[in-house]
Amino acid sequence: MISVEKPGVLTTVQDVGRDGHYHIGMPPSGAMDQYAHAAANYLVGNDADAATLEMTYQGCDLRFGEDAVVALAGADMTPTLNDEPIPTWEAVAVEAGDELSLQYATDGARTYLAVAGGVDVEPLMGSRSTYTLIGLGGHEGRPLQAGDELSIGDPPGRSADLVGSRVDDEHVPEYADKSAIRIVLGLCDYRLTEESKAELCKAEWTVTPEADRVGYRLDGPDLDFVPREQPFGAGTDPSNVVDLGYPVGSIQVPQQPIVLMRDAVTGGGYATVGTVVSADRGLLAQRRTHQTVTFEDVSLEDALDARTRNEAALEAIRSSLE
Amino acid sequence: MTDQRIERVSLPKPRYEFGADDYVFVELDQAMSFDANFQAMAVTQQIRERDPPGLIEICPANASYMIHFDPDEIGPRALVEELKEIAAATDLSEYQWETRVVDFPVLYDDEWTRETLMRFRDNHQDPDSTDLEYSARINGFDGVESFIEAHAGAPHMVTMVGFVPGLPWCFQMVPRDRQIEVPKYVQPRTDTPARAVGFGGAFTAIYPVQGAGGYQLYGRTPLEVLDVEQRLPDFRDSMVFPNPGDVLQFRRIDRDEYDAIREEVEAGTYEYRIEEVEFSPERFFEDPTGYNERLTEVLYA
Amino acid sequence: MYERPTLNRTATGRNMTEETTITAPMPGVFYRRSDPDEAPFVEKGDRVEAGDVVCLVGVMKNFHEITADAAGVVGEILVEDEAPIEAGQELVRLTSE
Repeated sequence: MISVEKPGVLTTVQDVGRDGHYHIGMPPSGAMDQYAHAAANYLVGNDADAATLEMTYQGCDLRFGEDAVVALAGADMTPTLNDEPIPTWEAVAVEAGDELSLQYATDGARTYLAVAGGVDVEPLMGSRSTYTLIGLGGHEGRPLQAGDELSIGDPPGRSADLVGSRVDDEHVPEYADKSAIRIVLGLCDYRLTEESKAELCKAEWTVTPEADRVGYRLDGPDLDFVPREQPFGAGTDPSNVVDLGYPVGSIQVPQQPIVLMRDAVTGGGYATVGTVVSADRGLLAQRRTHQTVTFEDVSLEDALDARTRNEAALEAIRSSLE
Repeated sequence: MTDQRIERVSLPKPRYEFGADDYVFVELDQAMSFDANFQAMAVTQQIRERDPPGLIEICPANASYMIHFDPDEIGPRALVEELKEIAAATDLSEYQWETRVVDFPVLYDDEWTRETLMRFRDNHQDPDSTDLEYSARINGFDGVESFIEAHAGAPHMVTMVGFVPGLPWCFQMVPRDRQIEVPKYVQPRTDTPARAVGFGGAFTAIYPVQGAGGYQLYGRTPLEVLDVEQRLPDFRDSMVFPNPGDVLQFRRIDRDEYDAIREEVEAGTYEYRIEEVEFSPERFFEDPTGYNERLTEVLYA
Repeated sequence: MYERPTLNRTATGRNMTEETTITAPMPGVFYRRSDPDEAPFVEKGDRVEAGDVVCLVGVMKNFHEITADAAGVVGEILVEDEAPIEAGQELVRLTSE
């Protein structure tokens, strides 16, 4: 059992997500940074699909009711165990009665706490992920509150042997890195003028305070649409299209761009003009409000290559812990 | 007054677009039409039947569709080739499908959406009218009464489900010159009652839960489109009621009937009035008024 | 949601007054009032009790109340109303006796 003493700003139970229901309007939810989520799970001997706690901007204080093996991966929130600093990206043993305490994120935005055996909430439609909009999944469909108690699943036998194991430095991402987030332009990018398409990939965008699990609203230069007579059914605003499906990671342009994240609306009537490559969606989720984002337009082949490298890095982490 | 057939639209060549490495978006047309929508439904149904490896989501939309896939199992370019093949093998004229005709009671001009829309007048094109008055005027109706009669006077087909779980986009089953078309709010509202019936572009939407929204507000239905707890008998198989292809007949009701239905819905006992029918696009295109009458006759027989 | 801020304590002077600084536990936007038409939660010189709200931080479409950890007198307010702030940034000084 894990007791929540202080919940932090926004802490939810998440896993790899709830796929297969997008066509009824259900986004996947799941960990915003799947890389850090999987790494934390591997460190404690779990499979990648075990549920972790996702903490945003400010971590929580937890009291453990039993011995456990845990690992933190993602943003650095200056974690302590009974007031003693503990490392991130490393498996740590906790004993019944211990208090794990996290502060605010100094590097990155989201931290994942994996516990050997996984956070054991009831799966719903094949996933333990929390989708707060309609109060579904996770722990009672909502962010954690003080006083909540979470069960831990049966730990894998080898988890005790993993205590002290670390993720190699070469596989620990640099969140302070200002490198560009890679996108593939397309979808309805014909709605933007050539100048605005170039601007999208050239400008420094600022993450607004509203940016959350639904979308990353960005602030920057105005974008211009190609003038046209609006097609039947699209609506009158130049940003409007006949309502269509939005990929997770797609960039919609009601005017200023919004990158749709894992709790996003599944479709709607704003033009989408490109999609963040799958390997960089988690890195975008580690950008904090007021930080900057730049986009780099890459080819489909580059996007596939980035995916392969990302998967290889996770596989290297997993096999190093065997 | 009009040519009573649904004018066929010859669709442009579909645009196949990559949503980075794991999505394909297929735009069948930039404009809404039954041709575009039926093509989206027919192709996505064929994709489901063929079931190529690596597909995670198959999402039909109004005039487009989208596939989410695992590129480790099927390469994006190979997938597009397969989608093109499926499209080439899909002939709408031979196509028909099992669907449901559903009685959907609506309390038009209800107190809740009226209160909401009055609260957000500053977000609207015309702060001095109600949404119904504004929509009636710009669509050439002589008043709210005749506008409501038109909206409830012919059935609407669910052409897409999404935005949030359970929200149906509905396209009225009438020729183009009888289609209602309205803009969305200038600034979206931060609040909309659950079960509000709204209209934007050429679509009616039913809001499953309370929340933000930009559609013109016309009324409220006592029925749920989303039942997370799956308490109602018609939600046994899914927490979401509408499916693409469903035919919804919006029936104007009064407050007494609204309250009576609402009581049954809240008690978890209400059973939706549904008839299963075989829908034939060809026959609908030929004579929409006669075809709609036969569809809804089944319902109210 | 009630969030306890991190406190940096420094003992100042002989008569056991203690100056503390309330820092932001999260990044976001600093608000001195609950609504643009309302008076600020606190002004310099106000006396506050432990648990009193001194400001809000808005982030991810939610407002988080920042409260005083101990009773005291509000000193310098270090951030402009509605200014963007970083986690860990000093917000309000408080002198307790």
